[in-house]
Parts: sequence; C-alpha cells; structure tokens
Amino acid sequence: MGFLEELRALFPPGRLLTKEAELAPYESDALTAYRKRPLAVVLPQRKEEVVEAVRLCHRHGVPFVARGSGTSLSGGSLPVEGGLVIALNRMNRILRLDPKARIAVVEPGVVNLEVSRAAAPYGLYYAPDPSSQPISTIGGNVAFNSGGAHCLKYGMTANHVLGLEVVTPEGEVVRLGGEGLEGVGPDLHGFFVGTEGLLGVALEVTLRLLPKPEAYHTLLAAYGSLEAAGETVSRILRQGLLPGAIEIMDRLAIEAAEAAVKAGYPRAEALLIVELEGPREEVAEEARVLEALIRESGAQEVRVARDEAERQAIWKGRKAAFSAVGRLSPDYIVQDGVVPRSRLAEALREIGRLSQAYGLRVANVFHAGDGNLHPLVLYDGKKPGELERAEALAGEILRLCIQLGGSLTGEHGIGVEKKAYMPEMFAKEDLEAMERVKRALDPKGLANRGKVLPEVAHGRG
Amino acid sequence: MAGVRPERVAEVQEAVRLHPRLRPRGGGTKPALSTPREGEVALDLSGLRGILAYEPEEFVFTAYAGTPLQEVEEALKAHGQYLPFHPPLAGRGATLGGTVAAGLSGPLRARYGGVRDFLLGVRFVDGEGRLVRGGGQVVKNAAGFPFHRLMVGALGAFGVMVELSFKVFPRPQATRTLRVEMESLEAALEALERLRLLPLDLLALDLVPPGRLEIRLGGFPESLRSRLERLQALLGREGEVLEEDEAHWEAVRDLAFLEESPIWAKVPAGLALIPRLEGLPLGPRRYLDGGEVLYAGLDGEGLEALRREGLPYLVLKGAEDPLFPPPPAPFFHRLKEALDPRSRFPLG
Amino acid sequence: MQHRIPVETLGKEGEVMAHAIEACVHCGFCLPTCPTYVVLQEEMDSPRGRIFLMKEVLEGNLPLEEALPYLDRCLACQACVTACPSGVPYGELIAAFRLHTEEKRHRYPLERAFRLALLRTLPHPERFRPLAALGVGLKPLLKPLPLPKALRAPLELLPERLPKEAPYPEVYPAKGERKARVGLLLGCAQRVLRPSINEATLRVLQENGVEVVLLREQACCGALNLHAGDKEGARALARQNLKAFREVEYVVTNAAGCGSGMKEYPLLFLGEPEEEEARRLAAKVKDLTVILEALGFTPPPPPPRPLRVAYHDACHLAHAQGVREAPRRLLKAAGVEVLEPKEWELCCGSAGTYNLFQPEIAAALGQRKAANLKATGAELVVTGNIGCLTQIQAHLDLPVLHTAELLALLYAGKDPLLETLA
Repeated sequence: MGFLEELRALFPPGRLLTKEAELAPYESDALTAYRKRPLAVVLPQRKEEVVEAVRLCHRHGVPFVARGSGTSLSGGSLPVEGGLVIALNRMNRILRLDPKARIAVVEPGVVNLEVSRAAAPYGLYYAPDPSSQPISTIGGNVAFNSGGAHCLKYGMTANHVLGLEVVTPEGEVVRLGGEGLEGVGPDLHGFFVGTEGLLGVALEVTLRLLPKPEAYHTLLAAYGSLEAAGETVSRILRQGLLPGAIEIMDRLAIEAAEAAVKAGYPRAEALLIVELEGPREEVAEEARVLEALIRESGAQEVRVARDEAERQAIWKGRKAAFSAVGRLSPDYIVQDGVVPRSRLAEALREIGRLSQAYGLRVANVFHAGDGNLHPLVLYDGKKPGELERAEALAGEILRLCIQLGGSLTGEHGIGVEKKAYMPEMFAKEDLEAMERVKRALDPKGLANRGKVLPEVAHGRG
Repeated sequence: MAGVRPERVAEVQEAVRLHPRLRPRGGGTKPALSTPREGEVALDLSGLRGILAYEPEEFVFTAYAGTPLQEVEEALKAHGQYLPFHPPLAGRGATLGGTVAAGLSGPLRARYGGVRDFLLGVRFVDGEGRLVRGGGQVVKNAAGFPFHRLMVGALGAFGVMVELSFKVFPRPQATRTLRVEMESLEAALEALERLRLLPLDLLALDLVPPGRLEIRLGGFPESLRSRLERLQALLGREGEVLEEDEAHWEAVRDLAFLEESPIWAKVPAGLALIPRLEGLPLGPRRYLDGGEVLYAGLDGEGLEALRREGLPYLVLKGAEDPLFPPPPAPFFHRLKEALDPRSRFPLG
Repeated sequence: MQHRIPVETLGKEGEVMAHAIEACVHCGFCLPTCPTYVVLQEEMDSPRGRIFLMKEVLEGNLPLEEALPYLDRCLACQACVTACPSGVPYGELIAAFRLHTEEKRHRYPLERAFRLALLRTLPHPERFRPLAALGVGLKPLLKPLPLPKALRAPLELLPERLPKEAPYPEVYPAKGERKARVGLLLGCAQRVLRPSINEATLRVLQENGVEVVLLREQACCGALNLHAGDKEGARALARQNLKAFREVEYVVTNAAGCGSGMKEYPLLFLGEPEEEEARRLAAKVKDLTVILEALGFTPPPPPPRPLRVAYHDACHLAHAQGVREAPRRLLKAAGVEVLEPKEWELCCGSAGTYNLFQPEIAAALGQRKAANLKATGAELVVTGNIGCLTQIQAHLDLPVLHTAELLALLYAGKDPLLETLA
C-alpha cells in the first residue's frame, strides 16, 4: 500500500486533509515569507495516532513536521514540501493537574495559557509566558524552548518541563525525565526542549507549576531616549533588585501598541516597564528602592499600577506590540537577538545607525532584563528590492548580536529563518556534533527536515 | 593507577584521544562517581581551574570546569551575588564540573531552582577529542542543540566538560531560619503541602524526619520579621528562630549529617513518596526543597531496599554501581553513539 | 501578508479585501476567540486560515468552490476583530467577499430554494408571521418525526406560542422633559417572535425622556441578505431605510445584528451614488444602551429583591460595534448584580441564520455558551440581541431576557424572576 492509502486506514476522512483548500492554510506559520505545500495534514486525537503516523513516515521515508498553533516566528513549523504535517491541536487535554506535587501533565496541543487557567484555583500558575501565550501550544513551546518576559528570574520553558513522553523519528516511544524537580541520570528531557522538533515529537509533557506571586508592583516610566531607559535597567540590577520582568519599547513600538489596544501609554522615546513580584512585605521594600532609583533616573513620567486592571493594561500593550506593528507597515521582520545586558545601549545605537543606513524603520521591543532584543524591521514588500534590503538589515543585526557575545535567538528559535546564520555563531565542531546527534536519532532525516542545521556544516573558524 | 592532570583544554583533548577509557574527577568529593574502575584512567581536572569571565551586572560568569565552588562563591560574594542552586559539598572542595556531572543542588534550590536551571553554556571534549560548545554566555538563548543541559547529571557520559557558564543572582541581604518540630511525620507532611502551595518565596524548606521542618527566609532585613511572623502564624507555632543561620546551612549543604554513614545517596522524592521512603531502612537523612529530593546516609541494606522498591538513586560515596536505574535505553544510547562512539567515558 | 490580488479588476470591493489581507500578519491571535476554530481545531476554520483561503481564491490559485465549505462556516461574529492586534477589518473582508462571490458560486436547487425562501420571508414580517405561526402550530406534531436537519433546526428555535404584536402609534411621547427625538428600527424576525422587545424598548426610552417616531416606511435592516451575499436584496431594503430615517436625529436599534448591519451600509453602497448618504445614516445608528447612556440614564427603582444576572455579549454588539460597557453600566445602575461568564468573546452559535445552515456547530456553541452562563450562578441571563436570546434559550434552563425587557419590568416595579417564571 502507498503512504496515503495507509494514512487513510489510520485517519478517518475529517482528520486527514489532502484537498487544496485544506492544505493551503497550513502552508505557513507566523513567518509568511516562507510557504511550503505539504502532501497531507493529519489531526490526531490520541498519542497512539501520532506514534502510528510517525512510524508510517519512517517506513515510507516521508518527512514530517509536528505543528501546534503555527505561531513560530522563525518558520519552525513550516511544512516540508510533499511531507506530512501532524497538527496536534486536537490533543488539547490537561490529563492531570496535581496541586500537591505542583505539576500538570498535558497533551502537546494544550494552549500555554490554559495551563495557568486550570492551575489558578489552586493558587498555582505556569511561569513561561511568551507573548503568544493565549495561542501557542505547550508542544510548540517545548520544541522552541519558548521564553517570555520573565526569563531572567524564572528561566525558559526548559526550566519548567519535568518530564516528557516522546516518539522518536524512528517511531520509538520513550519517557524522559519524571514528575519531580530532581532526578538522577542525564537530563534528557532538558536536552530535548529546544531541539525544534528535530529529535521527535512530544506526546505528553509534565510541567512544573509555581505558586502565583502574592503581590505585584508594576511600574511604567517614560524616557527621552532608549539609552536613558537602558541605563536605568543597569542601575536596577546593580542595586541588587531582581524584578520579575523588565521591558523596554521604543517610540515606534509604543505608537503601534497604542493604535492596537489603546493601552494609554505616555508618548515618549522609550518606555520602561518594571514588575516586582513576591511576598507583599518584600515587594514593598523593593518598591521603595526601585522608586528612589527611578526618581533619580530622569524619567519624564512614572506610573504605578494601582490595581490588577491597571497592571493588565500596562502589559496588554506590550504583549500586542509585535502584531500591532502590522498597523504601521504592510510587512515587517521580527528579530530575536540576544546581547549581554551591559552591551544593550551599544547594540541599540548600532541598530539605529543601521536603520538609517538602510533607509528602513526599525521598531524596538525588548526584554531588557535578559538582553533579548526584538527589533522589528519595517518594509513594504510591494516596493522592489525592499524585502531584500530588510533581510540584509535583519542579518546585520544578528551578526551584531553575535559580535557582542550574544545569541542568534533568545526564544523564537532558529527554524528556517536563521539557520544560515548558525555558522556565524557556532564552530564547525559544534554544528557537526548537532548533526551527529540528529543522524543518530533520525537516520533518515525526517523530523522537521530543513530546520536549524545549515545545509553545509562548515562552521566558523 | 595511572592518571593525567591536564592544565589546558588542548591537553584534555589529547588525553581523550590517547586513552580508551577515562574517568573524570574534579574535587573528588563524590568518590562513587570519580574513582576509576578497572581499565580506566583517572582524568584529574583540578588543574583546569579559574574564572574566565565575570561581569556582575550581567548576572553571568564563565569558568573552567575544574574550578572549586568555593573559589567561585568568594568571587560572587564580593559583588553581592551567589549561586542560587546552592551546590552541595562546596566546603569539601567540590568543583563546578563535578556538580554539573552529578546534577546536584542544595537546600536553597527551593527559591529559584536547581543546577539545571542555572547552567547557561558548556564547552566539552567529546569522545573523539573534539571541542564542542552548547548554549552560550547570556541568560536567554535558544540557538542550537542545548548540549549544556545534556551534561547535567550525565556523570560525564557524553564528554569532558572544560568550561561552564552560569547565571547567578543577587544574594539576599539578610536571612533567618525558623525551626519547628511537628508531632509526627503526617503533621509535617501536611504542613509541607500547605507551605508549598503558598507564594512565600522561601529560600529553603527542609524536612528532617520524622517531624522537624527547617525553613529559611531571605530578603530585606526590614521585611523578614513580618514574613517570619506570618510563617509562625501559618504553622500555629513559635518554633525556634536562628538569627545567625549561615553556618548551619553551610553544614547542611556539605552533607555533614551523612558523616557517619558508609553510603551517601541522593534520592528523588516528592510528598507522595516520602511515607514510602520513611518505611525503608535508611540512615540519617534530610529532604530538601519541600520534600522534592532526599539526601540520605545508608548501608548496603538500605541501598538494596531502594533498588528492590524500584526507587531511583544516585550514590555519591560508598558504592561501585552508583546510578539506578540506568538511563532510558534507546534515546540515551543513540546520543552516546553520537558523542562518545568508542565509549571512552562513564555509562558506556 | 503579501498578496498578488488583481485589485484593479475587482473594483472598490477589491480594495477593501486587499487592504484587509495585507494587514494580516498571520500571528494567530484570532485563533482562540474564533468559535469554529474552538470547536474544530483546524486551520481552515480559523480567521487566519480563512483570510489565507480568500487570498488564494482572489489570486486565482484556488477554485472558489473548494474554499466555500470553510468560508460558509464563518459566523461573521467578528470576535477575531476584537482580538486582532494588527487591525485586520475581518468583518468587512468576509462581507465583501460574500458579496463578491455570491453570483459566482454554485448552489444545489434545493439549497438555493431554501436560501431564497429564507431571504424572501425572514426580512418581511408580513410574510414571516404566517409561516412562523404555521411552524408553531405544527411543532408538537412534527417534533417526534425524523426530520431532515434543515427543517429540524428552525423548528427547534421557534417558541411554544407566537405572541401578538400590538399596533404601534405614530409617535411614542417622552415622559417629562424631551431629551431627544429618535427613530426606532423595529426589525423583522424580532417583531414576529418576540414583540415584547420593541414594546419594552419603547417603554424604556419613554422613561428616559426620549420621543420615538415609528416610521412606517422603514424596512428590515438587510443584514441577513448582506451576509448571505444577496447584494441586491440588501440594497433594496437599505434604500428604504435611507429614506425612512433621513430626518431623525438618531436611529435606535435594539438588535445587535441590525445595528451593525446598518453600520455596514457604506460597504454595501461602496462606489454607488448612495455611499455618502449611507455614511451619514451609519453615523446616526446607536444601540439602545448607548443612546440611554449618552442622554443620561434615569435608572428604574431597584429590583424588589437582589437579582443576579449574567450578561451575554452579543457578537454584533461587542465585536462589531464595540459596545460592552454601556449595557453593563445600565444594569448596575438599575441595581442588578452583573455576573461575567467565561469565554465572553465566544459566539453562542446564533449568528443570523447560522444555526439554520450549520446546526451541528451552532448546537456545540450553544451548549458551551449555556454552560458558561449557568456556571456564573446567575438567576437570569440578559443580552442585547434576539438571535442570541433564542439560541441561548434553546440550550439553557434559565430565563433569558433582552436588556430592554429587564429594564422595562423594573420600571414597572415588577419582580423579573416572578414575571419570567409566569
């Protein structure tokens, strides 16, 4: 039997998509510059079906891509031409939530925010909060080691995954990790998180839950320049404070967020959001220190959220900022570089210079606490040559991050978009080691083929 | 017993290419892991020491894997920072590399997490003598395969770590410890369960069975008193307050309470498992981080009991075969083939 | 998103559609609020997927017929518009696309007949009333029979009995000082199925010093035809209203779908001579709750005993017109405790004639909505749209009232719980 016939035996008609109109919407994720038409899409409802689909792909040598909500900004869930897309959205059950153990066991298609919603009655929450949190799935978060605004203090997805059940590209089902914070033996589940689906598909994920902070202190400060905002961040950290989140937005990003959600932000060159969280006595002390520091920082305007509604209003604009830039420009590229925090000001100056040199606007939204920049390069794809210029500019920004000792990506992953830059960050030996691991677990190269690893592992130096 | 003591990375690579079977050793504080077996050459990494980069404002440092924890912590302390995962055995000479390889964290892990949560990057020499990097030197990074996380708890199976980067945090300005005695194990577990669900930001939450709880708070001196009072009210008892608690916790993380035991083991626990563990013939012991992990002193009988019950453990001292159960076969072995095809390293 | 839609050849509608498609950045923020996506969990049944499909059709890469099953499943509830950070005017896109493609699509004779029958009767009370009366009469007889879905769904939505609509006077005077003189859109199906909504609306406006003129020449708003892609039918009705409401200061609507429908007149007459007048009228259209707030609300006496009410956001009020706070503030001012259901943004499945054409999805959404409303612990449910009211009532064992109905009961000093039980 051929591949498709066998698929038909596994999946009933409504859950095997092969018609043009069914496949077209799966051609892209949130990086629409890339499009690939898959051979078919399957919508499994149980993990056994995922395993069967993967085994079938392995037998027939058909490449496959597991997909959640398709929010990848690096083209991580872009289909392989002629391959299979395994859409996990219907596997969206929270299988178990154990407040005593402070864990949730979930299927990969569960949306990130749903975990916190389910945990809320117990006073618990799931900490990683990528901006796509209301949409993106845990499976996708695991593949890309998603971050968010709270990574300095709480780490990334990898730090909140305690165990995984995984089907390897050869169709073997393995359990990695467990249900507790401490295990013995190699941290294989930790290694799996962030490998972008190249080493298999997560079938079940055990997540760590944390008690929801008792008190928040959320402050918004407006500055006359990005540098001034950046300098304030340095002072906060030098002072020994450890805020849950420190975010900066520049004028363009502020405008976009205002247009999108009317957050009521002050008009300024730069906005700084700082959020302290913890036991109320502790937060009160930290807030005193923070406010004294902000007073002397030359802020033009300072606002402190008085209640949860005001706190949400401050965050709403920030979380919508990426997509909101769609209001300022027909097209844009979101970048996701990391620089050491002390080089932030330098990086921003250089980005400003590049923006002028290329004649393209760049909006900046970033997680200042962990040096994770999100420059948004605005362009109009209808103007000849502008896409190419925008890509070149985005590339220069990535190089800049590497030169400053940072990383190509803080949280969006390499995907297809940045794999060409991998040799600039990693040496030949590093890339070859990744390839050897990939080959050992996926000798046919089927799982998310064409992502992360550059075509030729020539590497740096 | 032959041994090598490289002082440069290139010498580590050379040693790996030269010797078919190697057993890395840092400070030698976990002899069950670092003592060479039959046919193995000891690879002493204590010569590969020193901090390579430390920018306090970045909350990041990079050091050679053989650097003693104490050396690192002194440097951090000078800038008001610390290693929040609180590596055990620092006072006995444990190194960064050994801590990562064994995957160990101390009592203060309760606040921010364990060693896996603070390791940012690694350079290691793989089984073919190649120098490979994973992760980076920034607190947030999602580029490439995360080899650094693969090193945690792997007992050196995939390579010899030579350089490690960690995230660090500001040290709490002041600390206090509350010690309370509950009337029974059940009462203590019930209290633990309640405390674990509350946003108290405890630095440490230890159970010394059957009924003693040791709770450490850290933060601004001004807020500690009221936080402590809230804790006492929650537990419904005054307990004993240690104003000067540093020495106590240093002794705990150096596992001083295991001193007399022939075998030292780390046992993953959890609230639901504790009653079962408490039924086994174990020696002096302490559960850290709200009961998540047990450090226990035992004898051969205790170890046998754990194995019989199918409970995973890692022996740090006093046993030939330290890890139970072995890592999950297919996945682990594929990785091992990729990075150490000739099985030069442990867990072959 | 980049596209190659031949805008030049598609006229004004083409520009509207191309603009919407360009604005979409494919981020997916619309997914969790889309009712069909929530139920089906597949990309074609999400706003993002539909935008992609419409783009493919307009570019000529995909035959219209292949895309239609998914586009037809869209309720046009516009929850995605509220959720969209990039400001994609999805409501305009889907309406324009349906207008643009209706004549190009193939429909089976039976389907065509059913659709035509609906579009020819529902908007005209004088035609719909006898039909509905017949349905109500036959309901007990037909119910046990194994009916085809297309018949069962409308039958189930019919009430147990059909109330009489009392004749309206020409002018309904204000009580006390007159604050404004407004026209009231009476609606179509609402007049037949639940005339008490209009009666209550008149009472509430009167209590608030508003004089209402009931303009005889008015017609159904035409939204049903517009959203079904029946451009000419919609335009004929709209022209009648342009004329009827020319002289009044405001046009008050008490059905969410009618309000948003009239606000879409400019789109309906895009590039036509009536476009300007359509814009003027659209600007005058106000939901009952908005006008009451704007003119200064005179609250009724508080309820005789504490009343716990769950407010359901009708999509065409909340998403299409952005009206969420006004009705809540009125209810609170009236001394009622307002409870918020989970998933407020999710459509109840009514969506005009949707529950007739897509009964399975509509029923799944109706049950979900009813469960969320029930979970608030409310004693009764209030909403601002006849469609939602009928749909929710079919799935929920609590009384469901129009906002105006509840307020009118309070003005009359009655106990809403006793009244609704009777």
